[in-house]
Amino acid sequence: MSLDTDNRTTSHSIAAPATRDTEARARLKTVLRLTGFRILGAAGVLWAVATLAFFAMRLVPGDPVDALLGGPGNNATEEVRQATRELNGLDRPLLVQYGSYLGKLVTGDLGDSYQLREPVAQVLGEQLGNTLVLAVLALATAWVLALALALWSARGGKVATLVGNLLEVVSAAVPHFWLGSLLILVFSVSLQWLPATSGAPGIEGLILPVLTLAIPLAGFLGQVMRESMLTAMNSPFAISSRARGESEASLSLRHALRHAALPGIGLSGWAMGSLISGAVVVETVFARPGIGRTLLQSVLVRDVPVVLGVVVLVAAIYIIVTLLSDLAERWADPRLRAA
Amino acid sequence: MKNRQPAYQAEPANAPRSAGSPLATTAGTLRKRLPLTVAAVGALLVLTACGGAVHADSAQGPSRAPVSGGTLVYATGDTEPACLDPIVSGNVPQALVSTQYLEPLFFQDENGEVGPWLAKSWKWSKDRLALDITVRQDVHFTDGQQLNAETIIRNVAYIKDPKTLSSTGILAVEKVASVEKISEFTARLHLSEPDNALLEHFAQVWVPIQSQKALARGAEANCLSPVGTGPFKVESWSKQQEVVLTRNDDYHTPAPTAGHSGPAYMEKIIWRFLPDHAARFAALQSGEVDVIDVLQPQNAVAAKADPALDTLIGSRPGHVVNLTLNTTEDPFNDVRVREAFVRSVDVDAALKSIFMSTVPRSNSVLSSITKFNRQNPDAYSTDVDKANRLLDEAGWTARDSEGYRTKDGQRLSTTAIQTEAVLVPVSVFEQFQHSAKAVGFELVINQEEPASFNAKRYAWDYGISPLYYTKNSPSVLNIVYDSAHIPSVIKGGYHANNNGLTGPAADAIDQALRLAATTGSEKERGELYAKAQQLIDKQYLSLPIFDQQTRLGFRSDVEGVRLLSPLGMPTFYDTWLDRS
Repeated sequence: MSLDTDNRTTSHSIAAPATRDTEARARLKTVLRLTGFRILGAAGVLWAVATLAFFAMRLVPGDPVDALLGGPGNNATEEVRQATRELNGLDRPLLVQYGSYLGKLVTGDLGDSYQLREPVAQVLGEQLGNTLVLAVLALATAWVLALALALWSARGGKVATLVGNLLEVVSAAVPHFWLGSLLILVFSVSLQWLPATSGAPGIEGLILPVLTLAIPLAGFLGQVMRESMLTAMNSPFAISSRARGESEASLSLRHALRHAALPGIGLSGWAMGSLISGAVVVETVFARPGIGRTLLQSVLVRDVPVVLGVVVLVAAIYIIVTLLSDLAERWADPRLRAA
Repeated sequence: MKNRQPAYQAEPANAPRSAGSPLATTAGTLRKRLPLTVAAVGALLVLTACGGAVHADSAQGPSRAPVSGGTLVYATGDTEPACLDPIVSGNVPQALVSTQYLEPLFFQDENGEVGPWLAKSWKWSKDRLALDITVRQDVHFTDGQQLNAETIIRNVAYIKDPKTLSSTGILAVEKVASVEKISEFTARLHLSEPDNALLEHFAQVWVPIQSQKALARGAEANCLSPVGTGPFKVESWSKQQEVVLTRNDDYHTPAPTAGHSGPAYMEKIIWRFLPDHAARFAALQSGEVDVIDVLQPQNAVAAKADPALDTLIGSRPGHVVNLTLNTTEDPFNDVRVREAFVRSVDVDAALKSIFMSTVPRSNSVLSSITKFNRQNPDAYSTDVDKANRLLDEAGWTARDSEGYRTKDGQRLSTTAIQTEAVLVPVSVFEQFQHSAKAVGFELVINQEEPASFNAKRYAWDYGISPLYYTKNSPSVLNIVYDSAHIPSVIKGGYHANNNGLTGPAADAIDQALRLAATTGSEKERGELYAKAQQLIDKQYLSLPIFDQQTRLGFRSDVEGVRLLSPLGMPTFYDTWLDRS
């Protein structure tokens, strides 16, 4: 970062030791206060999410007892249903059920799945890894695609900009289920290069699902990255770098890239959320086990404990990823560290 | 019904998959996924080198001796069961997979006749309140437990235990009050009242006979690995992914219709859950899976045109896929309006255009493979003039600005609820909407997801509801048409009868159905069920559309794919891979 004229952290190096100490203490205080607020806020968000999901699941039409008896459309007689309700406490008043749910949630007990007859924590534990692998790989792939596209189109003149823009808009607009089916048709049915399902062990089953998730996201990321890259390439520090004889390639890789990455990092928290919701579709299309497919199946059969478990888990992931992306942003952007 | 067209052709692009260990299978799949150039060169080599083999292969065709070994990959589009033991709940997805590892006491053939299977013989008492069942003495479950009289006692007790959460099974043994051991291999079932469908109940895989040792583990453990006497056994279950079934090497109880004896040919079956219709068919086309079910109409047409693929489509028994009319409210509380609606729509045209003629029309409330079914095309044919006449008679003579009929300022209108779960697509409803409008009848279509569909059904919040009920007995009519099954125990609760008809016409139907269910004479039973169907047809309580179906697509080198009576579920006991 030595040549970066926009680098404001240089001020620290000339500060006196004493000032540095108080400054550090003040910063620690700020960080602690912020962290405290963050944790309180996170707990509030989790409570709100759990509560909303609980009542939403019970207000939508559909009897949760169906989930216990094999799903909607089962032929259980009303006698069997009533016995099942009593066995599972579904005949108690809704608020009592909510209270007991919340009480258990605080102690980390997510309850048992109605349909799968397993503890929800176990169901989620089995599936979370699969979805995280998919989401993280998709996020990384989207980053690589978006950065490559941004680098190329920002430097390639008018035509490149136009093509880059078009590619980004189109890929950002493509729905997952359509893209997934298209990739299967091309790479599995016609070319027979890759499997259509993700059930097979090994990396080859992951390629198409990851691309299905990554391409639309790369479109979004690419758009914002190219904008800030262009701004950076035309800013005073870029002009002075060029004046000192720095090549265009070095300029864009060493300086503009960091500027391009900033909004991408900020968006990554949101992106993770959208990847997990995209996983609902992608996991179904590619028959891949994971949280998304679990959620879809559970909502359809009204398996309330699993739905609530997934919702709370995803909210927690979202909170953690947002926190991480904030930290990453501070690391990549010295201006935020000084503030 | 079975429109399987064998098409034996070598596929040059797909290198033959070596049968045997899973390792070999992986190698085979890998080979298939080499980059295009290599694959193309390989294909060229195979084409040039093995030109003769193609002829030899097709000449050999089905006359080749079956080959033992290998892995069959089956991809189901039905939902993943929550429990692999079909006693718990008891639905079609469970029946599909458990047919491979569980067997019932009796076998019911395609004419509805019941014969022995795990049971050697049976004997009714004079008052028909006791049934002695003697089981075979040479049968062991895959956990080593021997089949005996105690097995029957334990199985019935397991079904009746409320903690088991059985819904189909518990209905089947509803009339069984107790079971008593008579001798080592004979058990006596005591009934609370005569039930002439009892043997049929014990002939479905929803009431299978499982090892008492395995049942004693409790429902939770039994759900993961039920233990039966079938040609395969459950090896493992990776949720949301697959169930692995391995061959039962001691198997010696094939169904009477089986093509061979001894253990199955396939060494292993991988039962994958692949819910997306397009992806499932793509996986079949690419050879990644060998057999798929829930084959969509457009894919059935494509499969028939593809020499590498075959189809096997067969009916399932029970109440056909139909539109049930709610008679508890306007306008279907008038039988003339019900008939007018039925007469106004063109079912044949819809089946032709939307199902591409891959689904035959039903003109009976009972499936074409259910005993005593009575096809009645006269009652259900399209007759627009008659529809108009009936509506005039019923007093719907005025018209509003949009052309719909009215009576006392009320528009002639009804609402259909629709869900993906009951195979009547929205496009069919849209055609019906169009034809109903031609006679001045408004049809509003409400698309619902499965849970809210059922909530509306329970609450009688519909004019028309698509429904079916799978059962291998005409007694399915007792469940869905007896007016005793109209009320539900709690408000908005389940009711098996969804037409809601009460009054003298319903009484006549009830009487015929109840007599039919208890008579000791099979001939009289047939006459009474015929009479009941006639009465049901006359009341226009539902519009039959098509039989429920098992729809398979498979690679044409998969031999011996069959559907097993009475539920029409696929069985892979006779199946082998023609891939050497």
